Amino acid sequence: MGKENVLIVDDDEIYLYLIQRVLRELSNGVEIYTSTDGEQALDFIRKCDEDKQLAPKVILLDVNMPFLDGWGFLDEFKKLKVNFDDKIFIYLVTSSEMPADKKRALEYEELTGYIVKPISEKKLSGMLTEVFSEMRTQ
Amino acid sequence: MWRKFFKIFTLLYIPLLVLSIILGVVQKKEQYLNLEEIEKRGVAYKKNFLSDLCNSLIYSTQYWSNIEYPVGFNTSKNRSRFIGPYINFINGFTDYDQFRFIDVNGREFVRYERKRGGDMVRGMLQDKSDRDYVINGLKLKKGQIYLTSIDLNKENGVYERPYKPVLRGIAPIFDSTDKKIGVVVINFKMTRILSLLKSQISNSNFYLIDDDYNIITSNTTSLDLGYKLKNDSEEVLEKFSLNIEGFANHESSFIEKNSLWTFENFSLENTLSKLGGNLKSQPEVISSSNWIIVHEIYPKLLKKTLGHVYNEFVIFNCFAILTLAIIAFTFVKSREREGQFYVELQEKNNSLEKNKEQLQITNNKIKEINTRLKVRNNQLKEFNYLVCHNLRAPVTSMSIIVDMIKKEDNIDNVRTLLPKLIDVSTSVTVLTEDIREYVTILEQNEVVIESIELNDQIALIKNDFPETLLGDFNVILELEAWNVINFSKFYLKSVIQNLLSNAIKYKKDDVDSHIIFSTKIEDSRKVLYVKDNGRGIDLDRHGENMFKLYKRFHRNTSGKGMGLFLVKSQLEALNAQISVESIVGKGTTFKIKF
Repeated sequence: MGKENVLIVDDDEIYLYLIQRVLRELSNGVEIYTSTDGEQALDFIRKCDEDKQLAPKVILLDVNMPFLDGWGFLDEFKKLKVNFDDKIFIYLVTSSEMPADKKRALEYEELTGYIVKPISEKKLSGMLTEVFSEMRTQ
Repeated sequence: MWRKFFKIFTLLYIPLLVLSIILGVVQKKEQYLNLEEIEKRGVAYKKNFLSDLCNSLIYSTQYWSNIEYPVGFNTSKNRSRFIGPYINFINGFTDYDQFRFIDVNGREFVRYERKRGGDMVRGMLQDKSDRDYVINGLKLKKGQIYLTSIDLNKENGVYERPYKPVLRGIAPIFDSTDKKIGVVVINFKMTRILSLLKSQISNSNFYLIDDDYNIITSNTTSLDLGYKLKNDSEEVLEKFSLNIEGFANHESSFIEKNSLWTFENFSLENTLSKLGGNLKSQPEVISSSNWIIVHEIYPKLLKKTLGHVYNEFVIFNCFAILTLAIIAFTFVKSREREGQFYVELQEKNNSLEKNKEQLQITNNKIKEINTRLKVRNNQLKEFNYLVCHNLRAPVTSMSIIVDMIKKEDNIDNVRTLLPKLIDVSTSVTVLTEDIREYVTILEQNEVVIESIELNDQIALIKNDFPETLLGDFNVILELEAWNVINFSKFYLKSVIQNLLSNAIKYKKDDVDSHIIFSTKIEDSRKVLYVKDNGRGIDLDRHGENMFKLYKRFHRNTSGKGMGLFLVKSQLEALNAQISVESIVGKGTTFKIKF
């Protein structure tokens, strides 16, 4: 079982700060990485391909971001064909409740879940517990 | 209408009238020919009849000439014994009025006269040596017969009353030694023969006239040979002759004095030759009488006979006039109704055309409204997104910070959260300002449309960018197609500013950068192309987000991703559209359709 790394991809820096604080409070062992757009996140994934220790188990992916948005990241992620030991749980975290976005999300097999902002501490805690317990059973 | 009616009626009737006149003339001619034929037959019949009657007279006269009389018959007192057996024979010939033998000296030696009782009786012998018929008769040779003209009988130089038309047949007589002993003179009473001739076989008038056209007998006169008495003041004047030139000049039938005349000449001398040459002892007839047998269809009868032709002509024309008048009237009425129908149809068509045009205008308006509604709908979606996404994020952050502050006992930790709260507050303020700007565009209430000269506007905006003044960035104008546009000066300025700003912001460093503003007219609409030679953008990757809010596609450049969103919103607010074409590394072209 690898390290419990989490990658948060969001252009809202306040949100990034806050979510890191919450995650750390929930689990001291969690290693948190952040990217402010899709391109940065892709660069990090490429880096993980070289150094498997960095590989995230969970990606919290915002949709609306500059340069490369969440959908763009997913499209490029598919093309990367990285080979990690464990499955990566990717959650789409967005403030959009539009049916078109939800429908589009179903088209991506890589996605584990669709979380509508605001993401509360409770919701985040539940999600991480679920993810990590599943990881441990693998 | 009536003028058309008379025109059509005349056009139809004139050919029929001409045809009916031609037919009438032909029919009339045929009728004349028929009448002529009938009359010719009638005249021929009369001629044959007269010929037969005259032949009987001739043969009756010849009979006496053929007898061999005893020698001295003219002087013997015993001649009564010879003539006795013939008395009954003479009596039997009712046409015999007088029967006489006259010797070569012109004196009668036998004379029988028919008395009123009907029998032939002896009469007083007279000397007739001075009479023409006796003189001519005594000149006759054997086999010759002399017939006088018809005359009224005179006794002792006075016309016998009642008037008695007679014709004398004279033939020489010979004794058994073939010595001429005189002549036999028979006065034929012509009353019966003339009556038979006059008897009606048709309604036409009959005349038997002589060479001088004097009437011998006619069914139009009561008196035969009236012309003989024309100087007799005691007689009532009647028509005695026919003053008709046609008998000399025309064929056997002609029209004169409105009468149809048909005639045939009749000569006593030629009567026997008509019978043919079968008789052995055919006499030679000598006569100065030439008659003309005439039939006249008098004007009234002619008119009556041809009347049905006129009647048929009149009836046909009346019927034609009535029928053609109805046809012409119906036709004109029908054309009039047809005309009215077409006028109404045209009016309806015009009305439909107007309605169609109106409908087209309405449709266009509806389309325009639909387009505007779509645009507005998209704008509202953008607004919804603006509020939902961009407001929800700081609010969520604020909520998390507040929750953290509530739970945090350590004041130092709380202090670390406060700057983040200020950041959230600032971002909300910025967002609120952006929303206000966007709502202002959506409202459009303060937009003033005015005529703008594009070159002047670009020149003014250019001055706001130092790069264009220093020559680092060229602004090229190609505004030949159009230069003036009715638009909001504020929005147009914003659009040009944003596009020029982006072109400068994303210019390439290794080339002489420029932007070209060029105008075109496409599909009757004014189009502005804004083309730069900058870095360009991958439209496959970013195309759908190109004009969306807070979208940024290049690192290391300032901007919050609001410019193109505002450009699109401002253009669409005034029914203009913007589209983009771009090649990475080559440049970008925006097309604005006003």
